[in-house]
Formats: sequence, C-alpha cells, structure tokens
Amino acid sequence: MEEKKTRKRLQANTALRQIITDFYAEGHRAKAEGRPVIWIPPMNGLIELFYAMGITPVFPENWAPLCAAIGTNRKNFEYAAKRGFSGDLCGYFRNNVGYALDGINEENQPLNGLPAPDFLISFGAGCIPTMKAFQVMCDHFKVPVFRADLPQVAMEKIEKRHIAYGVAQIKRLIRFLEDETGLKFDIDKLRQAVIHTNEACRLWDEIMATRSTIPSPFSAAEIGIMFVMVTRHGTEIAVNFLKDVLREVKEKVARGEGVIPHEKIRLFWDNTPLWYNMQLFNCFEKWDAVVVAETYTSAWSLRLNPDEPLESIAYKSLVSYPLVSCVSLNKRIELITKAVRDYKIDGAILHSNRSCRPISMGQMDIGRVLAEELSVPSVMFDGDHMDAEKFSMAQFQTRIDALMEMILEKKRAS
Amino acid sequence: MDPKLGDLVHRHKEIAREEKEKNGRLVFGTLCSYVPVEILHAFDILPVRLWGDGKNHERADALLPTYICPPARNIMAMGLAGHYDFLDGVIHSYTCDATCGLFNIWCRNLKPAFSFMLSPPYMDTDEAVAYGIAEFKALIAALEDYTGKQYSAGRLRKSINLYDAARERIEAIYRASRNGAAVRYLDLYQMNLALQVLPIERVVPFFDGYLSNLKQLAPRKNGKHRIMISGSVVSDPDILARIEELGGEIVVDDTCLGYRLVQQRVPPREDSLSALARYYLDRPPCSSRADFPARKDYIVKTISAFDVNAVIFMHQKFCEPHLADHPFLKNVLTEKGIPQVQLELEGEGLNGQIQTRLEGFFEMLEAR
Repeated sequence: MEEKKTRKRLQANTALRQIITDFYAEGHRAKAEGRPVIWIPPMNGLIELFYAMGITPVFPENWAPLCAAIGTNRKNFEYAAKRGFSGDLCGYFRNNVGYALDGINEENQPLNGLPAPDFLISFGAGCIPTMKAFQVMCDHFKVPVFRADLPQVAMEKIEKRHIAYGVAQIKRLIRFLEDETGLKFDIDKLRQAVIHTNEACRLWDEIMATRSTIPSPFSAAEIGIMFVMVTRHGTEIAVNFLKDVLREVKEKVARGEGVIPHEKIRLFWDNTPLWYNMQLFNCFEKWDAVVVAETYTSAWSLRLNPDEPLESIAYKSLVSYPLVSCVSLNKRIELITKAVRDYKIDGAILHSNRSCRPISMGQMDIGRVLAEELSVPSVMFDGDHMDAEKFSMAQFQTRIDALMEMILEKKRAS
Repeated sequence: MDPKLGDLVHRHKEIAREEKEKNGRLVFGTLCSYVPVEILHAFDILPVRLWGDGKNHERADALLPTYICPPARNIMAMGLAGHYDFLDGVIHSYTCDATCGLFNIWCRNLKPAFSFMLSPPYMDTDEAVAYGIAEFKALIAALEDYTGKQYSAGRLRKSINLYDAARERIEAIYRASRNGAAVRYLDLYQMNLALQVLPIERVVPFFDGYLSNLKQLAPRKNGKHRIMISGSVVSDPDILARIEELGGEIVVDDTCLGYRLVQQRVPPREDSLSALARYYLDRPPCSSRADFPARKDYIVKTISAFDVNAVIFMHQKFCEPHLADHPFLKNVLTEKGIPQVQLELEGEGLNGQIQTRLEGFFEMLEAR
C-alpha cells in the first residue's frame, strides 16, 4: 500500500508560496511608501502597462480564490448578503464586494488583506459580474476611476478594428495614469514587459505539454501555479518561476515519474476548479486516474509581438475572456477537441458552475461532441467555484463513479 | 387600445411567417434591443425579437443550465419546439452573458442560415461611435454578402424615419400618461412589444389611432400610487394587471423594452450610419451596459419627470446585471424616500408568492 502513496505536489510550490506572499506584501509596501496602488479587473492584458509604469496592481478577482482556500469567503458572503446582494450572484462577485465594502476593515487578515486602492479601473468588458463588482467598488471607494471599454468579441472574429479600439482605450488610460500619478510611460519598458509575458506564455505551453506524456508529471491539483500568469505577467518573476517549474516537470518526465504511481485513466476538467476544495483533484487516485488537462489553463496559450506592444496587450485583453467562455463556443469546442487528442483523454468532468454562466453555458454541447465525435464519456456535476454550500460531495462521487465505470467498460471492450 | 394590436402581437410569429411566405421577406430573430433593426429593415429583412415569457422552459434543459434566467430558457425551448422555424437568421448584440450563451447555443443547434453577433462599445465617446460604426459596417458587409443586395444610405434613412416615427408616438403616449390621460400601462406594454415583434409599417397607424382616441377620453381617474417598474425582461402582463387592480398606476418603466428605447430620435445627420451609432450609444443604457452613475441618472430623472412615488423591481431569477444593481438602486430610492419592493420572477407568472408580496407592498403604501 505504501507505494500507492501519491506524489502530487511539485517542489515549485514552495517558491509559489513565497511569490504569493511577496505579491501581497508588495502592495502593502507600495501603500506604506505612498506609491500608487490600483485595483484592476482580471480579464485584461494591461498588467504589463502597470508594471512598466511602476504602478502596483491589485486583482480582487485573484483574491477571491485565496479567500475560498483560506475560508474567509463565508464571512465575505455574509457581508455581501447584509448589503442586499443576492445569493444567485457569482461567488467572486459576492466575495469581492463583501470584502471590499466590509471585510477589508477586519483585523488579522491572511496576508494582511488587500491594500485599499488609490485608483480603480472600471471596464465594460469580460463578464457581467466582474464589470458590476467594479461598479460597486467605484461607488464605495471615493478614488479616481478610469472607465474604459473593451467589447466582448468571439475569439475567431477579432479583427483590426477591435485591436485599434483597444489601443485607443489603452492610450487614454496611459494619459490618465500619467496625469494622476505623475509617472511617465515608457514604450521600451512596456516592450520589455511584453517580452516577459510572451516568454511566460511560451513556457506555460511547454509546461502544459509535458502533461501529454504518460504518466503525467502533474495534475490539476497544481493549477495554483497559474497565480503568476494572472499577477506576474510582464515580469521576470513569472519567467523565472516557470523556468523552474518546467525544469522540474521535465525531470519527472525523464524519470517516468507520474503524479500517481500507476496511471491508468486520464481525465479532462471543464470549467473553474472548486477553490475551497482543491483536494478534490486527488480523489481520482483511487481509480488510478489523473486530471491531465483543463479548459481554464488554456487562457494563457497565446503569443504577443514585442514589436507592437500596445497592439499586443490590446489583443491579450480581447482574447482572455472569450477564450474560455461561451463567447466563442465553437472555438472552445475546438480547443477541447484538440486537448482530448493531444492529452489522450479517457473521460471528461464538466463542472456546471453556478458562479459562472459564461463558462457553464455550452457544456451540454461540449458533452455531446465528446460522446458523438470523440467517443469520450463525460459527466456533469452541479457546483460552484466559490461556494461550498452549492456543492454536494455525495452527488459528485456518484457521478464520478458512473464516469469511471463507463471509462473502464470502454477500456475493457477495446 | 384597439384590440387588433394586441391580437397582432399575440400572432406575431404567424405574421412573420406570412411575410416570409407571401411577400418573400427574409425574417431574422433578434435577441436584444441593441440590435440595429433599422439596418435589417433597410435590407428588407423583417426583424422579430425572440421573446419568451419564462414559462414552459423545461425543453431547454437539454441545452441550458437551470440557473439561467427563465425567459432565455423559454426562448431556447420555443426554438427547439420549432416555434421559430421560419427564421432565416439570428442577430445578437452583446449585452448580458446569458443571452450571448443563448445566441451561440441557438446557432450551434438550430443552425440558422445567417448569424451575426455585434460587439458594441460601452461608452458614447467619439472613438466609441467610430468603433460602433465599424461594427455596423461589418454587419452590413455580412448582409450584403448574404442577401446579394447593395447597402443604400437612402434606404437606411427611410427605415430610420419609420422606426423614429413609431418611437415618437409611443413617447407621446408616455407623456400623455404622465399628464393624466387615460392610458393603461398594459396598452403601453403591448405597444412596446409591437415595436419589437411586428412589421414596423403596420404598427404606426395603431399608435396614431390610440393617440387620437386619447383626446376624446376623459382624463384618468388617478390611482393612489404612481408606480415605476424596473427590471430586465418583463413579460408577465398578469402581474402588471394585478398591480393595477391593487391601485397601482404604472406610469413609467425601467425595463428591457419601454421608455428607455423611445425617448430619443436618431439625429438628422447626413451620415445615417454615424447618426444611428450615436442613437444606440446615447440611449439611456440598460443594466448590462450601464455603470452605476448612469443607472442612477436615469432612475432619478425619470422618477422626477413622472412624479413616481413607488418602485416595483421585477427581477428575473438569476439575472446578474439587475441583481447586482439592486442594492445600489434600493439605496438611491431610500435616500429619496421612495418605497420599493422586489419581485423575483421564476417563470411562473403571477404565483401566490408574488401576489402576497404585492398585496403586502400596497398595504404598506396605504398605511403611509
């Protein structure tokens, strides 16, 4: 039995914990030193711009999974409910609004919480709950707000006019930041940030590609490494960390060392993980199964052109939302179909996520394509990426049992 | 109201089918009031807003999660049942996430011959208008390709004038209602819907008839409570009728279809396309496209203009844009001393829970 013990954690997690701690500490340090702190929505490619200008970005949406992992999400939900926000709203929204309006005032917060914003960026872009969460924050924090917009365009329909409009918005934002902070924008610094992001995306793809080997060197339980793709794009921190991750996973591949000792079943996960229950990804081990690919991690599979830094970040902003949502349902199905083939998937788990309509809509179509065109069995379970009360472990286990039976039956038949 | 208009609205799918079969017109379904119907009309295409009442949506469960708003599920269910099998195309303009998902799932499963999603900007700056024009031009190019017809600025201006004429008349009826004329909100509801689902050429005479008839009627015996309804898709006339029975006089709305859409005319500029873009971006934005200051601005101004003294929020279950705005708007109303109540619509029409809530609200208003 001893040899069956899982080896699911990458050593890189030690460095990741430090990166997370440093990121939040940096925000507090900037605040203490009087340097500008800006709260920005997650689904845009503008992080490079802030790092290039020496402005510290804070991502409330990235804070939400941390709150779920730590358990402070429940308190934030209560705060949101007390303010009158419906329990049917996205969990990120309820957590972030509850936190920004009330939770931020609590003492002894993990990682010292978020530093209050000096500026806010409020976008018409991405999904409705993100857009609306920032509107609530703009109403609450009496700080200067930059309002811009970036229309939601299907991935395959993005054309020059969309990029040009994105660039116009970015130029306006640069003027706003220069006026408000007195800092100067330098295109060469932005170019360098874009080079870092491009390299991070390339490394990311290479890391993910190692999971196509059998056995897979790591599972979806390691999705936390995505933290650097959200918060540290445009910096060497992301590049150096990802180089270390790549080295580690390549060594595992060279040794033939899988995340579990006897990998037999390879799974695909669609939609966001349950941030309050990441151990869920380990429960497949009893069937010798591993989640080797997922939709969410593909959001970073893009390339930027450092010769056109403004156009590059405009493009990144435009694609990050449609890439994983139902704005581009056909594109998403194409992406999943490719993943099923590349990662030699045996079965798929579709998380019908009450907190995310844009990713959850279209999953019935995805299930049908998996069954009819790829002969890959799948199951869907009801859940919520932030709220444990909307997830039933018993229902999940029943569905997974059924999936495993289908997969094993198929394997036996072939 | 001339009962014929209500009948036409009720039979609008049949009418669209007739237009297609007898007159050879193409018929396109639209999913949002931000679709520039004037452009479709200029290509002699009949735009028909896909409209669901939230009931009988179970058939959609095979394609949509159950936590999508009832009207979206109902529309999908009607599509699957073949109620819209006469459509040649479907057009959407990105507003809420659920409708975008509905559009994509509709296209994938019902395979309309033509489909197009516009991605409109959120702002009304000059650069946004320029981008909005570029989006319209992309739609026009796709329509030229599909229909084989050439775009004509002259035809577009004629179509704009036709829609403007209809909007002007509905606005006049809202104004008359504000000033005490005997307008029933249920009539306005039918007229707003008629603007979306019927051939535009057929609706204007009804509106003219209604306006001239109003002049002959005695002023309305004022109800005690001047109500604004606020929400997304409100498609339950039974609830509106119950509000009136309880002594509420719905004088204006803040809903998907209604006063927001008829207040403005397309500016009479030389370039019809840029005028049209300006119209769509200048309109008071819906919850999906507005920030809080814009929402507050519309609500406060309209409440004042229509002398509203109570607001009924009619929210579709799971409608994130409106649910997210609600606490903010509630605070705005509280500051102004305007009582309000929230009804959550789950696709069951006037059920017991809604009845009780409404009765309780009106009892509270009576006691004030």
